[in-house]
Amino acid sequence: MSLDWMSDAPTPFSKVLVANRGEIAVRVLQAAKEAGLSCVAVFSDSDSSSMHVEIADEAVLLEGDNLEMTYLNGDSIIEAARSTGADAIHPGYGFLSERSDFASAVEAAGIRWIGPSAHAIETMGDKISARSLMIESGVPVIPGEQIPVEEGADHLGALASAAAKVGYPLLIKASAGGGGKGMRSVSEPKNLRSEFEAAAREASAAFGDGTVYIERLLKRARHVEIQVLCDSDGGAIHLNERDCSLQRRYQKVIEEAPSPAVNPGTREAMGHAAVTAARSVGYVGAGTVEFLLASNGEFFFLEMNTRIQVEHPVTEMTTGIDLVQKQFEVAAGLPLGISQQEVTQNGHSIEARVYAEDPSRGFLPSIGELAVWSPPSGPGIRVDSGVREGDSVTIEFDPMLAKLVVHAPDRKAAIRRLDNALSSFVVLGVRTNIDFLRNSLSHDSFQGGSIDTDFLDSTDPSELSGSETDHHTLVAVAAAAQRLGIDRQQVAGTEAMDDHTGHQGDPFRTLGRTFP
Amino acid sequence: MEWSFPDRHERFKASLQESEGSVSITSLTRDGTEVHIPETSVEAEGKPRRVIVTVGGEAKLAHVIRNGDTWWIHMDGRAHEVIFHEQGSKASANEGSLKAPMPGTVLQVMVKEGQRVREGQHLMTLEAMKMEHKILAPKSGEITKVHFSEGDRADMGSSLVEIGD
Repeated sequence: MSLDWMSDAPTPFSKVLVANRGEIAVRVLQAAKEAGLSCVAVFSDSDSSSMHVEIADEAVLLEGDNLEMTYLNGDSIIEAARSTGADAIHPGYGFLSERSDFASAVEAAGIRWIGPSAHAIETMGDKISARSLMIESGVPVIPGEQIPVEEGADHLGALASAAAKVGYPLLIKASAGGGGKGMRSVSEPKNLRSEFEAAAREASAAFGDGTVYIERLLKRARHVEIQVLCDSDGGAIHLNERDCSLQRRYQKVIEEAPSPAVNPGTREAMGHAAVTAARSVGYVGAGTVEFLLASNGEFFFLEMNTRIQVEHPVTEMTTGIDLVQKQFEVAAGLPLGISQQEVTQNGHSIEARVYAEDPSRGFLPSIGELAVWSPPSGPGIRVDSGVREGDSVTIEFDPMLAKLVVHAPDRKAAIRRLDNALSSFVVLGVRTNIDFLRNSLSHDSFQGGSIDTDFLDSTDPSELSGSETDHHTLVAVAAAAQRLGIDRQQVAGTEAMDDHTGHQGDPFRTLGRTFP
Repeated sequence: MEWSFPDRHERFKASLQESEGSVSITSLTRDGTEVHIPETSVEAEGKPRRVIVTVGGEAKLAHVIRNGDTWWIHMDGRAHEVIFHEQGSKASANEGSLKAPMPGTVLQVMVKEGQRVREGQHLMTLEAMKMEHKILAPKSGEITKVHFSEGDRADMGSSLVEIGD
């Protein structure tokens, strides 16, 4: 592949190291290959045969038995870039993607950082400083108290008076937070202390910073975020919204574009606010500005994510813009090459996050071997995944196995396509949330587009249970499979012989049957 | 042999008849009582780990795999687990015991031995994957044993708390 697109770039690069693992590492490594760039993976010991290692041109082992020594070890990763001659680093999401010190260290080592400046990451990463900047820039924020409550300090007095000003119900949030960690809702004063302590502990453990602040808890609001794209010449556009209202304990489950709750006027206003937010920190690259959209149409800045998002594919599907390719172009100093007027919106896209977790046990991560892993395929179906059949799922890493993304002409068709794709997504050996995703999709409130961020946490689980399980047929299948020796068939690794004809899977025998 | 489902107490038994690579179910009992089921047969599909299930004349494809005592079955768009028991094996000895669903650290213990608890009561908080998880009572009863104290590490599958009647 030639590097035509890079030929006029002011700050070109030719070899990208991806400082991540799993599906996002696979996504970025594939994009690099498509762009004609060489690509380097990094991996920990337990990932030595993982998919992202397999598809990279080169891979470097990060020695150590915990994340601090491997995927969170900036020095080792920069050393890996040096030793392989990689002249750019893409951080993916999570891990070091929003660590300003890492971004600075990469630039200081003379390596191109595929992301916004350390200053932008730092300002937006601290929720308290981000709030202040948004207020200054005229972007609406949720009513709250920006009194940082430091862990270990004599907190109760300050906390209680701040809480009284904000009013209940309220939300305690980690200043350094994300992904629902260090975030607790408090409905009445008597729970303030215990929830504060839990939030601070969680924030400390997850981010090394137990600082929390409080915000009014907006009930019945939707989570709507705007994708922005900015170049280093001051060009800044938005690529419309994604609706991520279907959440469980503040973690996104299903995301879609466009939002069923956003009209063209709101889209334009939110898009403008998002671009203003990005410009206020001199943002460069792809980023996301998250808002809460109240039922009366008012919206409030929540936070800015200074990286590629898990749910970026729904924007790619509806706008036709490859966000990772755009990240490469912007990092090479190229202009966006697209104006706001040229951004289109085509059809409807929905993403479902397939997790190795057990909805019947409070969504605890499940582990095991992916004995059968057969993702769906077909028109309008995209699966971003970092695992293969036979891979082990451990608790060492995030339990997300894949993102199943569909694109269809309209929302109803997209829901049908997603449900059908989920029903043919065969995963055996590890419990997943696939059933739960199907049940959520089929709920009237989701179908009607009327859910809010409290939906999953406030809905009786019985409303989200699927069709009655046919226990009798399942017993019959298990007993018969055992009798037929289907398990021994695995061990031998051979195809079953047809007893009758001696052929493997006689085609005539299965013709004329209807399969679901 | 007997069959059961995760989190369900009833035991099933199936009588089978095999002929030319096809297995028919001649009778099915649930906790010893015969249940009426439509005519059901199962045959290998030809490719590994796939069977054709015919129920009441309607054929469908199922994906199956055995892992230890569990048969994983994907059928009608959903995945299920069916557990295999040798004849006469006792009901799970761990009934009423709460196992750590994953390795983690015990952050809080809110109950003592001898205390009576209600179903759904918060018994323990476990921290794993940097998230806190509440361990709730699966049934009402008396706490007969608390195996961990605050700060202890619990391995996956280790019994945390036992609840008697």
